[in-house]
Amino acid sequence: MSSSVPPVSAPTSTTAAGPSAPARVRRGRRYGRAVDRRTALAIPAGALLLALAVWPLAQLGSMSLHTVSAATLNSTWDFVGLDNYAAMLREPDFGQVVVNTVAFVLIVTTIGMVGGFMVAVAVLSSTRGGSFLLGLMVFVWALPPVVNGSIWKFLLADQGLVNQALRALGGQGLGFLYDSKFALWSVALVNAWAVVPFNALVLRAALLGVDPQALEAAELDGARPWQRAWHVLVPAGRTAATVLTILTIVYAFRSFDFIYVMTSGGPGTASTTLPFLAYSEAFLTLDYGRGAATALIALLVVVVLTLIYARDVRRTEGEA
Amino acid sequence: MRNARLARALVALVGTATLGLAACSSGSGGTAGGSTTLTVWHYYNTDGQVQGLERLATAFKAKHSGVHVQFQYVPVEQMTTKAVTAAGSKKGPDVLVFGASGTYPLAQAGAIKPMDDWWSTYPSAKQFPDGVLQKIDGKLYGVQGYVNLLGLWYNKDLLDQLGAQVPTTIPEMQDVMAKAVKAGKQGITLTGKPGLESQWQGFPWFTSNGFTYGDAQAAPMAQTYTMLQDWIAKGYLSKEAATWDQVAPFQQFTAGSSVFAVNGNWQIAAAAQAKFTYGVAPLPITSQGGVLLGGEVQNVGAFSKHPDLAKEFLEDAFFSVDGELTLLDAFGSIPAHAEAAASAKISNDPILSVFGKIVQQQGRPSPSPQVPSKSVDKVETLVGNYWSKAISGQGKPDQLANELIDQLKPLLQG
Repeated sequence: MSSSVPPVSAPTSTTAAGPSAPARVRRGRRYGRAVDRRTALAIPAGALLLALAVWPLAQLGSMSLHTVSAATLNSTWDFVGLDNYAAMLREPDFGQVVVNTVAFVLIVTTIGMVGGFMVAVAVLSSTRGGSFLLGLMVFVWALPPVVNGSIWKFLLADQGLVNQALRALGGQGLGFLYDSKFALWSVALVNAWAVVPFNALVLRAALLGVDPQALEAAELDGARPWQRAWHVLVPAGRTAATVLTILTIVYAFRSFDFIYVMTSGGPGTASTTLPFLAYSEAFLTLDYGRGAATALIALLVVVVLTLIYARDVRRTEGEA
Repeated sequence: MRNARLARALVALVGTATLGLAACSSGSGGTAGGSTTLTVWHYYNTDGQVQGLERLATAFKAKHSGVHVQFQYVPVEQMTTKAVTAAGSKKGPDVLVFGASGTYPLAQAGAIKPMDDWWSTYPSAKQFPDGVLQKIDGKLYGVQGYVNLLGLWYNKDLLDQLGAQVPTTIPEMQDVMAKAVKAGKQGITLTGKPGLESQWQGFPWFTSNGFTYGDAQAAPMAQTYTMLQDWIAKGYLSKEAATWDQVAPFQQFTAGSSVFAVNGNWQIAAAAQAKFTYGVAPLPITSQGGVLLGGEVQNVGAFSKHPDLAKEFLEDAFFSVDGELTLLDAFGSIPAHAEAAASAKISNDPILSVFGKIVQQQGRPSPSPQVPSKSVDKVETLVGNYWSKAISGQGKPDQLANELIDQLKPLLQG
């Protein structure tokens, strides 16, 4: 393979040492003006970021180190060091809440990704059924979580449609939302159901890049459908799936709305996760200091995942 | 040039931010175009409550031309935080209608001020019992114009069908519930959602077993949790109650699915939808037990632009006989004003007259005076959460009661 060298036009005024001094000055001015313009354009966004993200985060950090309640919110806060964190760890339910959070993330991520991939494969072809399913998914995805959660709350109630169907089939009703063994699972499954359409849409976009001839060749070689999916489609969607997995974990980790609507973290604390615990401490018991400490711990996990995501995106762009 | 560009960018930013803040700002109304706007923050959300407010506003506007009363709904769980945050920027409504547990934080944050001077000159002040005066360190920070409380709603048709009488003790009630279950019905519906509501719901039962916040012991709580779990095991109470607020269980009762419902006087309009004969009785608890006297607290906002008009509004709307009877008609609230409480509208009504008696016989101040003011929210939320845990079976009664008391004691010490 020969390499071709593109023609390079000679600078109009250069020396062996580089551009002439006036040219350097002109270029320096142009560069300076470009930097000025970029800086000026970045200032509003930077200031907004400072005001709406960095400053509140700093406040959150400060709150977590002080005793802050509704009564003291507008006055001087007493510095208590890491007491709020220690109190959070001493809380009898804290261990259970952490386990709930991990279980919730695992359920949502696993079902969200596997379900998303399966649906993406199902709607890959432009058949009428595939298009209908695609439209249906966009509808589900566009539903606000509060509406979605409320609908499922009715469906999973003791006298709801799901239990009525179970009883009609000769089974027993299940306490989907009120039995402490099922409540977390129920909310997590609904949350996973809500994330499947988004994952399917993203994965479908990635799978559309697969050469149909590769699938045909595999079929001619006698590969079964699942083998074609595993050996051809899965490798093709791997890059998108990696990024999507991290996004799904973050989505699951910070999930609050479905829990709020469907179980309020209950029964007792059976479906309470870290974000819901932070909400409960800050806005129900009005202990903002403790709520801030819990929220920061939850935030740290999200930040770590975000850094992994950012690194992955950069690596993918580098490969591209 | 560079500075000019930066300056333009900054001005644009400040302008945008100012517009944004202006759009987001909230608080006391003002005077515009010759009319005065009086803002009222509340968390009423049932049809009857909203209609009651509208009627109060209409009556007030009829006396004060040029005054517009603007009601702003704030979800109950956001009320304290919103009012405290507003007070931090020296803003807030003219009138605050809030839950009793919010009195301490609102007072400490400066969102409300002591109203002793005003109340001492209010001619009808003596008509109000001490139990509805919300005081902190001896200073009056709010008055409940009416009270809300729990009673035992019963399905009279079903009782007759079962050959049972209205129970006056817990064992009697359990006998009736056993008969109801045999007849394919539920025994009772009540609230078990985690949080404040469940503390309110549980209070009559655990105080009936001898629990007091002044001397918090595990045994009465364990006894109460045993009773709850026994009810669930025998099918008297659905385990689903662990997620019920105060609305859902009453809907089940009015649908005819249970013989009893532990619920409040504010359900009087909803009860009218029932297609059976119903009644209310005092909860069949022991003489040690009590029912918390809830109901919203009213005061003028500390940053009201029209404090005199706001006082006048409260006197006319929430603290007057006419105003309290308007609210009674709208959603069955029991007037705190002695003259209004003696109205024939209550004594002639078979439901309201019973609630009136419950106030006298079983009424207890809310929040409980033994709970330190600064711990009210934490204590009530904690106790409510354990009530929910007991219903859902998240532990054995003794274990749950011991866990609760371990966490409760430091909070009760203040």
